[in-house]
Amino acid sequence: MSGPGWFWAVGALRRVVGLGALLALGAFILGPLATLLVWAFAGTWLFPNLLPEFSLRWWTYVLTNADVGKAIRMSFFSAPVATLLSAVICIPAAYAFARLEFPGRRGLLLSFLSANAFPKIGLYVSIATLFYRLDLMDTFLGVVLIQVVNTLLFMIWIPTGTFRGINRNLEEAARDAGAGPLRTFFQITLPIALPGLIVAALFAFIAAFDEAQGTLIVGTPNHVTMPVLMYALVLGYPQPVGAVFSVLLSLPSVILLLVTQRYLRAGYLAAGYSL
Amino acid sequence: MDRAHRGWKQGALGLALVLPPLLVLVFLIVVPAISAIVTTLTPPGGSGPTTSFVNYAEVLATRMLRADIGFTVTVTLVSVAVVFLLSYPLALYLRFTRTRATAILGVLFIVPLFVPVVIASFAMITFLVNHGLVSTILYRLGFERFPRLVYNATGIVITQVWVNIPFAVLILGAGLQAIDDSLVDAARDVGAGSLRTFFSVILPLNITSTMITLTLQFIGIFGSFTIPYLVGGNAPQMLGVTMTDYLTQYLRRTESATLAVIAFMIAAVVGVIYVLSVSRRERGERVVR
Repeated sequence: MSGPGWFWAVGALRRVVGLGALLALGAFILGPLATLLVWAFAGTWLFPNLLPEFSLRWWTYVLTNADVGKAIRMSFFSAPVATLLSAVICIPAAYAFARLEFPGRRGLLLSFLSANAFPKIGLYVSIATLFYRLDLMDTFLGVVLIQVVNTLLFMIWIPTGTFRGINRNLEEAARDAGAGPLRTFFQITLPIALPGLIVAALFAFIAAFDEAQGTLIVGTPNHVTMPVLMYALVLGYPQPVGAVFSVLLSLPSVILLLVTQRYLRAGYLAAGYSL
Repeated sequence: MDRAHRGWKQGALGLALVLPPLLVLVFLIVVPAISAIVTTLTPPGGSGPTTSFVNYAEVLATRMLRADIGFTVTVTLVSVAVVFLLSYPLALYLRFTRTRATAILGVLFIVPLFVPVVIASFAMITFLVNHGLVSTILYRLGFERFPRLVYNATGIVITQVWVNIPFAVLILGAGLQAIDDSLVDAARDVGAGSLRTFFSVILPLNITSTMITLTLQFIGIFGSFTIPYLVGGNAPQMLGVTMTDYLTQYLRRTESATLAVIAFMIAAVVGVIYVLSVSRRERGERVVR
């Protein structure tokens, strides 16, 4: 007996286990999202009815709410700024990690994992105590910095992997043909690396856009982004309000993922996770 | 240009390019962590360079906070165990089978990765809450009474599992991808059963990504805020919520920072294992290159 099918050696068992797991996992993963989606279009949903009375009235309520408009503006202003800032400082560094020899290279690359080696909330609390002293609490810069922390890992590790994967011979050929180092980078390296960089930027943007706990601590009360407003909506409003807002909040990520899915399929995501 | 000069120039350029993100890292992680530790070692109202553990003694003497620490560790361990027990079979299934179910599962398991944790928590509430979809279905099936599924530890664990499965499967899967089919086939050929093959061939070969998964999950869940805040109960509560409450509600920054440092220390033990297993992997990769 050989081949990759070894793991579920008994055919019938394999099929039953496979189907059962598929159904159970499907219900577990999609069930909560489906419930949420139904709630977004529910007027009232009384127990024990399996479906609600559908209505769009909560959409008018949410979309005309002033706090919602303010949070949407704050999110769409801060997350792109954070992503751009992160790209500007991280992509040259990623190139250096992939291509240049310098002292402490490996240790420094590993140090970017340290954001993941701390319990997130403890880190935010520590940052907040520092921000109090620097008067960065409840400022736009403070919010952007919190978001940048969350993008660093994506913006360093995925581009480093991408640059490493580019054949050096191409760059050397360009240099031999007389192109300077900058021209080689912009005309040869960058175009080849672009899909990987786009995936990195996509993940950085989603990480910045979805950042909630740090922004809640640092940005309250005047710099409330959409995910932070979500806390208040979940805790203090009827269920359909939170559901409608959840749909709004997921739209940017879903749209970005659909637009960039051809890059995602090319395996850059896996490359990023294989470290 | 001689080689030594060129090497020096490259080193300087490399360091200069790496410096900006490194400064962000120092300013937003190293400095806050150190300043938190310094704050917590300064006695309240005290001046001068005295160092004392009075803040720690006070925090650890508070019964409610001790309960929260214990609760956090327990919930984290249970969540990590459940994530692990679900993710490993899934990662194995995705790696070693090629059926239609594999293709669907391969897309399905990754969905939670793209759902913000705030939304995931809220979706889980609407799904599991008393009179939510699950209880409606159970009621229709004839069950009159069922355990409370949200606003307690059960809810936290279920939501953590939902949120953390993709990450675990991706990392475990990346490790399994590197295992040569021929090694597995060789084990099968000499008569090893599925379980035997798993424990004596696959698990040892995949030990690095297994360790990375376990430690990252532990630290991630241990330091979580959103899930316990929205899906958890009132007391005991996980440290993430307690810390935030002390900082923003009770305005007791020192206690909050002390809790943060305690959390750092508990995670540090786990973090050391993580960094060690990653650096071993980096070194291995360098040898191959």
